[in-house]
Amino acid sequence: MSGTDYSYDEQGQFFPIFIATIVGIVTIPLTYTVLKPSSDPGATAPRIKTDYRPEHADLIDIQRKAQKKKERKLKRILTVVAGWATIAFMGYLIYVTARTIPKIWNPYDILGISDSASEREIKSHYKQLSKKYHPDKAKPDPAKNETLETINDYYVELVKAYKALTDEEIRNNFIQFGHPDGKQSFSIGIALPKFIVTDGNGKYVILVYAALLGILLPYLVGSWWYGTQRMSKEKVLIESANNLFREYDEGLEEGGIVSALSTGLEFQNALKGDKAESGLGKLESRILAEGTATPLAGGLSTKDRTVLEDLDGGARRKALALLWAYLGRVELDDPALNQAKIEVAPIAHALNTSFTAIALAFGTTAPILASYLTGQNLLQAMPPKASPLLQLPFITPAIAKAIEGDSRTHLSLQDYMALPEAYRKKLAVGKGLLTEAQYNTAMSVAKQLPRLQVEKAFFKVTGEKYIIPSSLVSLVVKGRFIPPGSQDIPEVNELDLEDIDPDEDDLDAILGRKKKGVKGAKSEEEKIVQPPLAFAPYFARDYSPRWHVFLTDSKQGKIAVPPFTFTTFDKPIYDESGKPTFNMQTLKAQFQAPPQAGHYTFVMHLICDSYVGFDTKMEVTLVVDEASKGADIEADDDISEPDEDSIAGQMQAMKSGVPAPPKKKKNKPESSDDEESNTEEEVEDTSDTDTDTDEE
Amino acid sequence: MLGVDWWGLALPFAYIAVLLGALVTFSSMSRKRRAAKSANLAPWFPPHLQRNIYLSLLHLEPEEGKEKAPAVPDSVIRAALLRRAVEDIHRIIQIRSAKQACSTLLQRGSVGDDLWQRFERAEKEMEEELRDVVTEANALTPNWGQTIFQSANEIAAGTLLRKKLQDIQSQAPAEKEWWERRRASIQSEFMKELEAPSKGGSDDDAVLINGANNTASIRKKKGKK
Repeated sequence: MSGTDYSYDEQGQFFPIFIATIVGIVTIPLTYTVLKPSSDPGATAPRIKTDYRPEHADLIDIQRKAQKKKERKLKRILTVVAGWATIAFMGYLIYVTARTIPKIWNPYDILGISDSASEREIKSHYKQLSKKYHPDKAKPDPAKNETLETINDYYVELVKAYKALTDEEIRNNFIQFGHPDGKQSFSIGIALPKFIVTDGNGKYVILVYAALLGILLPYLVGSWWYGTQRMSKEKVLIESANNLFREYDEGLEEGGIVSALSTGLEFQNALKGDKAESGLGKLESRILAEGTATPLAGGLSTKDRTVLEDLDGGARRKALALLWAYLGRVELDDPALNQAKIEVAPIAHALNTSFTAIALAFGTTAPILASYLTGQNLLQAMPPKASPLLQLPFITPAIAKAIEGDSRTHLSLQDYMALPEAYRKKLAVGKGLLTEAQYNTAMSVAKQLPRLQVEKAFFKVTGEKYIIPSSLVSLVVKGRFIPPGSQDIPEVNELDLEDIDPDEDDLDAILGRKKKGVKGAKSEEEKIVQPPLAFAPYFARDYSPRWHVFLTDSKQGKIAVPPFTFTTFDKPIYDESGKPTFNMQTLKAQFQAPPQAGHYTFVMHLICDSYVGFDTKMEVTLVVDEASKGADIEADDDISEPDEDSIAGQMQAMKSGVPAPPKKKKNKPESSDDEESNTEEEVEDTSDTDTDTDEE
Repeated sequence: MLGVDWWGLALPFAYIAVLLGALVTFSSMSRKRRAAKSANLAPWFPPHLQRNIYLSLLHLEPEEGKEKAPAVPDSVIRAALLRRAVEDIHRIIQIRSAKQACSTLLQRGSVGDDLWQRFERAEKEMEEELRDVVTEANALTPNWGQTIFQSANEIAAGTLLRKKLQDIQSQAPAEKEWWERRRASIQSEFMKELEAPSKGGSDDDAVLINGANNTASIRKKKGKK
C-alpha cells in the first residue's frame, strides 16, 4: 500500500474549517469574558454628586485613568478581535472554495423527485414531464430566455436521467453508493495544505512544532503556576502577606498597622532605584513638622515616629513616610513626591485587606477592628483617631479642630450633622474657616453619605420558634440608610418612622421578606441595589463600600462569628432625585448555634469599610433553648387546639381516632424569651412576631 | 535488506533526547533552587540575646595572661538561665498563638509556603531550646528543671502587666494637662458670663433656634457680636 491514498487538501477545502474551529474554541469563551458585564462597581454604581475637587485632583485623576486602562484588558480585546477576524477570513475561504467542488450528476434532482421514489412514481412523473417539455410540445419562451436548443438539451437530460433510473443496475448503484457508476474509490483526506509536507519544508514544520510544544507550552504553564504562587488570595504578593503575618501582634493599633503595611513588597516595586531615597529628607521634615490638630503634621503618634525613625533608609522608610504624608494630607511641594504619595494609598489598602484576613485568622478582636479602621483611614486619607469631619470636602484638620472645640472625643459626622443648622453653620463658617459656598458643598456631600443605622438586630431560626442547640441561626440586622443631617426630608415623616412601633415596622419587613423567600431567589436578584461609590476624593481608585457584620465575644476579646460582607441591598437607598428613601434594609448572616443551651451575649459590629465613624456596635443576646423545649412546643401546636393537655382531652382524641388534626398554626403573638437581653438600644433578641406568620 | 535510514532514525531519538534532557535539567534546577531557598529562609525569631548571654557566661574565656577564667557566681548564672527561660516563654506564646492562624491562612492561600516552613523550623527549634533549658537547670540545681518554666511564666506575665500599667500611666501627664486647660477655659467662660450676664443668655437662645429661620438667627447673632 503506497502513501498516495492520502490526498492533501490542495484546494484548501477543509483547512479553513479546521482553523476556524480551533480559533473558535479559543475566541468564543474569550469573547464572553470580554463582553460579560463587568463586576467592576465603578461602571454601574451611582456616585455621590459633588463638584468638589481636592488638591492635586489632576494627579489623582491621572492615576484613576491609568488604573482603568489597566483594567480594560486591552490584550484580551485585541486577541478577540484577531480571533474573529481569522474566523471571518476562514468563513470567506470556505464560502469561496465550496463552489469549486464538482457537482455529482444526480438524476433524481434533474427529474425533481425524491430519492425514495419508487419505480412507478418515477415513470409517471417522467411521463408528465415529457408531456410538458417535449421539444414538439414546448414553445420557447423568450421571456425566460429560452431557445429551441435549450429546450432540446433539457429534454435530453430528462431522458438520460429517466434511463438511468429505470436501469436496474444504475439505480441500485445510486441507492447503495450514491453514485451512478457504483462504488467509488475511497480516499482519505488530511486537512492540511500540501505545502506543509512538501520536501524541504519539513524542518520548518518541526521547528514550529518544537517551539510550540517545547517553549510556548512550558512557558505558559510555568507563568500560570508561578503567577498563582506569587500572589496570595487577597491579591497581594505572597511575600508581603508573609511579612504582614510576621508583623502581626495582638496589641497592634491603627498606627502600628500602618507601619506594618509598609513592609509590603509592592512598595519596593513602586519605589525602585532612585525613587527609594529621593526627597526622603524633605518628606520626613514635612510629616514630622508640628501639625495643627495633631502633634505631628502626618498624624503620627510618638510611637509611630520612633518606628519610622528606627527604620533603615530605603524603600520601606520612604513608603511609610509617604503613607503618613498621605494620611495627614501633607502638602509636599514636589510633583514627584505628591504623585508617589497618592500612589501608595491603593497599595496600602490592598495590603490592609490581607492584614485583615490575617487578623481574622488570629481571631483577636482589637487588631481586627484596628485593621478595619485603617482601611477606612486609607480610603479617606485621615490619620488614625482623627476627626471624622475630615471626610467632608474643604475640612482641614485645623477647621475640624475649630468645629470640635477643645474636646477629648471626636465629634462624629452624624452627631455634627444632627446639631441645629444655625449652630452647625456658626461652628464651621467664618474667618479662617469655611466660606459659605464651601460650607454648602460640604453639607451637600454629608447629606448623601450612606450611613446604615441599625434599628434592630435579633437572632432567629427560619420557621422555628426557638433556637435549639446546633441549629442554623440567622442574625437578622434591620437598618435604614439615614445620611447624616437628613433634615431635608420632612421631619414629621422621620419621626413617624421612628415612632411607629419598631415591631410593626419589622413585621412588615419580615412579611415582605417571606414573600420573596417563597418566590425564590429570582426576584431578589432583579432588585439588587448598589450603594453609591465611596466618597473618597483623595483615594486614587473607585471603591464600592462594603458592610461587614460580625459577632465578637467581649469577655474573651475574640471573634465569635466571622464577618459577613454585604455589598448590595434589596431596596433602593435613594430615589431618582437622590433623596434618601429610608427603606428598611435587611442583612442576614447565618451561622451555627452553640451546642449547649444558654444565654450567649455577643457584641455585634457593623462596620462600613469606607467611612469613618459610621460603625455600629451593640450587644445582642442569643438565647439557645434546650432541644426538648423546641420539640414540646411543636407537639403542643400540633395536637388538639380545643383543650389543654388533660387526660380527658387525650382520651377524646384517641376515641375520635384523629391522632393529630391537620396542622393549624396559630399566630401566637406573645413571646417567650425576649425582654431580658438588651441594655442600651432597642436590641431585642426576639423570636416573637416573626414566629408563625410564615410560608406554609 | 536492512537498508536502515540512519539519518531518518536519528531524528526521533534526538527528539527524545532533547525532551528528556530538558526535563531533567528543569527538575534538577528547580530542586537546587528550592533547596537554596529553604536554606536561606530567614529565621522566625531574632537572635536569642538571653541565651547568648547565658552561654557566654558559662564559657568565659580566660583573660589574656591569666590561667583561669574569672569565676562567675552561681547566682548570676542562674539568673541568666531564668532570663533565658523568660524569653523562651515569650517565644512559645507567640508560636502557640500563631500556629492555628498560620495553618488556616496557608490552607486558604493567604500566606505562602515558606512562611509555614519557617514556622515549623522555629517550632522545632523551640522544642530543642526548652529541652536544653531544662537540662541546664537540672545541672545547676537538682530538680529545678521541673519548676523553672513555672517561675519564668510568672515573670513573663508580671512583666507584661507592668508594661501595660506603665503605658497607661504614661498617658497621665497629657490627660492632666488637658483637664487643667479645660478647667481654665471653663472658668474663664464663667467669668465672662458673670461680667456680661445678658449676652450669655441670648447666645444660648440663638443656639437653640434652628430650622427654617436659621438665617434670621445668624443675623441676630452677628448683630449682637
